[in-house]
Amino acid sequence: MIEHREPIGWKRGRARVAGIVGAGVLLTWSLVGVLNAETPASSAPKSADGGAVTAEQAKAVAERRRVETESPAKDAGAQKLAKGPHGALPVADQIMQIEKLGLTDSGEPPRGIDPLVWQSMVPKDNEPNAARIALGKKLYFDTRLSKDGTLACATCHDVSRSFTDRRPVSEGIADQLGQRNAPTTMNALFFQTQFLDGRAPTLEEQAKLPILNPIEMGQPSPEATIATIKDDAEYQRMFQAAYTRPVNYDDLARAIAAFERTLVFLDAPFDDFVAGDTSAISAKAAQGWILFNGKARCMTCHMLNPSNPLGTDDRFHNVGVSALKQDFEDLAGKALKALHGKEGQEGLEAVDRLALETNLSELGRFLVTKNRSDIGAFKTFQLRNIGITGPYMHDGSMQTLVDVMDNYNKGGETNPFLDGGIEPLALTDTEIENVVEFLNTLTDKRFAAEQRTETARQRAVAAKQRPFRDNALAMRKVLPFEARVMGTKEGAR
Amino acid sequence: MSRKFTSIETKHYEERDALFAALPKLGRRDFLKVSAAAVAAAAGSGVRFFPTSFQPVTVANAATREPFTFAYVSDSHLYRKDLNDRFVRSILRAVDDVNHLDPKPDFILYGGDLAQLGKREELDLGAEILKNVQQPIRMMVGEHDWFLDMGARWRELFGEPTYSFDHKGVHFVVLMSVNEKDFWTPRGMTPEQRMGTVAGLDNGIQSRFEVGAPQREWLTNDLAKVSADTPVIVFSHSPLYKYYKNWNFWTEDADEVQAILKKFDHVTVIHGHTHQMLTNRIGNIDFHGLLSTAWPWPYAPEGLPKLTVQMSRPDPFNPNDGCGDGSAAVSADGLVDKVYNLWNRNPIEVTSGYLASNGVKSVPAMPNMKSF
Amino acid sequence: MKRSQILFGLAVLVLAGGALQANADDPMVVQLCDGKTTTTVDKNAPKTKENGQKIAADLMAQWQRSHPEANWIATEREKHAIVEPADNKDVVGRTQGQSYGQVTDRDVLTWQRETLAMAVHGSTVFHSGDQLGSTIAVSCDMCHPDAANTHAETYPKFQPQLGRVALLRDMINWCIEHPVRGTKLEPDSPNMRALEAYIMAQRKGTAMNYGAR
Repeated sequence: MIEHREPIGWKRGRARVAGIVGAGVLLTWSLVGVLNAETPASSAPKSADGGAVTAEQAKAVAERRRVETESPAKDAGAQKLAKGPHGALPVADQIMQIEKLGLTDSGEPPRGIDPLVWQSMVPKDNEPNAARIALGKKLYFDTRLSKDGTLACATCHDVSRSFTDRRPVSEGIADQLGQRNAPTTMNALFFQTQFLDGRAPTLEEQAKLPILNPIEMGQPSPEATIATIKDDAEYQRMFQAAYTRPVNYDDLARAIAAFERTLVFLDAPFDDFVAGDTSAISAKAAQGWILFNGKARCMTCHMLNPSNPLGTDDRFHNVGVSALKQDFEDLAGKALKALHGKEGQEGLEAVDRLALETNLSELGRFLVTKNRSDIGAFKTFQLRNIGITGPYMHDGSMQTLVDVMDNYNKGGETNPFLDGGIEPLALTDTEIENVVEFLNTLTDKRFAAEQRTETARQRAVAAKQRPFRDNALAMRKVLPFEARVMGTKEGAR
Repeated sequence: MSRKFTSIETKHYEERDALFAALPKLGRRDFLKVSAAAVAAAAGSGVRFFPTSFQPVTVANAATREPFTFAYVSDSHLYRKDLNDRFVRSILRAVDDVNHLDPKPDFILYGGDLAQLGKREELDLGAEILKNVQQPIRMMVGEHDWFLDMGARWRELFGEPTYSFDHKGVHFVVLMSVNEKDFWTPRGMTPEQRMGTVAGLDNGIQSRFEVGAPQREWLTNDLAKVSADTPVIVFSHSPLYKYYKNWNFWTEDADEVQAILKKFDHVTVIHGHTHQMLTNRIGNIDFHGLLSTAWPWPYAPEGLPKLTVQMSRPDPFNPNDGCGDGSAAVSADGLVDKVYNLWNRNPIEVTSGYLASNGVKSVPAMPNMKSF
Repeated sequence: MKRSQILFGLAVLVLAGGALQANADDPMVVQLCDGKTTTTVDKNAPKTKENGQKIAADLMAQWQRSHPEANWIATEREKHAIVEPADNKDVVGRTQGQSYGQVTDRDVLTWQRETLAMAVHGSTVFHSGDQLGSTIAVSCDMCHPDAANTHAETYPKFQPQLGRVALLRDMINWCIEHPVRGTKLEPDSPNMRALEAYIMAQRKGTAMNYGAR
């Protein structure tokens, strides 16, 4: 068992994490029933247990499958072990792997986190203790919770694949593909909201939803879910020990959340560097850190400091990824018409109805807040362990970190709702390399081997193709919006 | 259930409920007028506009005019492209915005300060970009366009800066309201020095803006033929009132100009120069500021009109924050509801009802981060 | 150059010029004591104090135009209002015999002039894209006329753009790097110190409130 070292050496070995989960973050719960997964149910083909999918939908699924299998997104490391359903490591093997990571399972606050801050992050009715964590761990890896018994949380948040699935979008029940990339559960506890559109304010609320999503774990109801485990004597005992209550859905979610609060992975070479060990990262990475704070303009959205170690601002920005989809602006127009065509509450409900009928998933945070400023906006990803949690962006459309840098370097994808903070950066290739090398130093040391493999793999991919690179835009020879307004041809790739 | 994400629509509902409560008490004729006005106002709004105020209004001439909208782009302060790309990107974004408005506005107003230092290359660049505006465009001049060559290139490109026109029963006047008394000759300044002085908002050497006596005379004559119940909309770069002298958020002969406008039932002044959400009402005149595409100004330390709901303090990381473009919906009565299309924020509408009620009805959302 | 100096020099030259003139019909050239600046005068004009003053003013204006940096404090203050520092008149004296506590009117004036000069220097940099090193011709006053909206009294504070707690000079440097697109200044460089001085000067009288957003 790896001894759990002082996780962050920012200042005299103490990390302080500011209270992030704010009680003031209230979300429109009426939507939760509609958008009940990372991938909104609106985008699902008809129900997985009998209703036929249309030929068009089947074609779309097949196309996504083809793109996914042809993209080199599978992890070389996990291929050494036999694969389970949906490409995940079998849960028994995952449990063995997680033991080796030396996580704290007693309910103590993670080392280096301010106890008061920790308290503000944990709901009063779910203080962590060994019983709750053990229950949550068992549930996290339990495939009985899915309708067909093939999926657990650990399928898409796989210990052997950096607690995600290393796919562009996730695969759920009956091999259906969703629309959104699965965020890693590592460090997820620190976010102020959960899901890429932030519609769940806590881990507890998040845990309830994928289970009920027809294209994820496919259960028709909380009762049906509980029915799969409530007669299990072991679970009955564990639920009583954890919450002094019989098996029930709310406590199931609480327990999973309690387990997820142990998934702290903030012990990276970068932390040693900031604590004073200048040799902990390479000179190129150190240059990358300077660029991160300066010319590359990363820090403001990917906020990284002793009080917020994740590298996120917990906010939602349109960086133009959704605009890569052909119909994005039409969808946005339809949604705005629905919203403003009727008054007030009716307008909001009109948007929800539209979401069920069409594919509004690309509108992101807008579907939750109905704020026009949130169209196409998704939550800023954490940068911790980013080197091993690709592919990148809310739809997994970027294979490598170099692709991500190319995208930002050219000023994102121009669209009417683009965050103005995204602008052409004029970074040279060397500067891009330096930033990427810096980003790779944010991976927890326990995954150093995975990082080395992934660094080499991404380098090889980037050497062959740079689909997002646009030098004319990056160097400001052609400007964003210039093509749209003046018909200027975008410059050479 | 209380909603975290409320908008000004909530306030409209309260107003609407009050209206419906009062409706049974109206006679049929009045009821028809009210609903016609409301429908007309709503129809005049496009997809980005919130419903206008539901206040009953006098609709004496509503039957003879149709509502319409116009959009605006303003204060772009262009340098040549290879010197400053950000400002060019911003004006391009604004042109893209107005070209995609649905329904299409009747025309676009350009609010002045197309160039930053009045250079020919800057004005020409702006003119070339504005050629891509799909709707007809009405140009207004700002001080940054003027004081290098005293308007020579502007006139070549865009014609006389002062003019008037009628549109759907509304009389529009476009003024050159950034004249300055000669401060440059006694100092022996070159044209570049003169322009550089005017270009500094806080440069105290320049004179205060004025419309000037000749133009006031022109205005009097122009308006002599316009009946008092005709809605009048004035486009002016300087605000035509006195907000903050040090920054030339000021028109020296504002009182005289307002006096010329006094005879009308209702006047709306739409002005540039201030690069912020700005609202005022003086007598029969509503004043609305235009957003800049290039950068936002802070609110002045004193003199801010009470009716102004501030735009939230901009984020310096985002060159588009606090900036944008917008539009105005002109009702059948010639009342103006002004929409600020702030980039990366929700659009904000300042309605004629808000002004008519002295800031009580349809209050726009207050910022949680004000200027201080 | 002081007006009185020019007048004196002028007086000398006029007398000398009168003596040296070779031809009674030549226009009279009046030259300043710098040996370069000149003006021509109708030699038949009456030699009144008023006319002398006009000649002196003309020479002065010419000299100033060709030496714009000479009166840089006055020049800058004419363009931009700069808040004056405390006048410290109340500490003049030597009541307890302490050396450090010995303060004269001259001392107070020196302090005031030096402090003001630094703030004025800051104003010149603040208002100049060139001096800030901007590559896009942007200067601070474009978003911060008279240093409005700079909130000097709120530092140190958490500055989201930097992702950490910043001092005023950190934010100045961030603005130079990003909105102004120049090269960051060394924290102790004269221009950085002057910028801080000017920005703080403009907030004189505002209560200190570190951390406020």
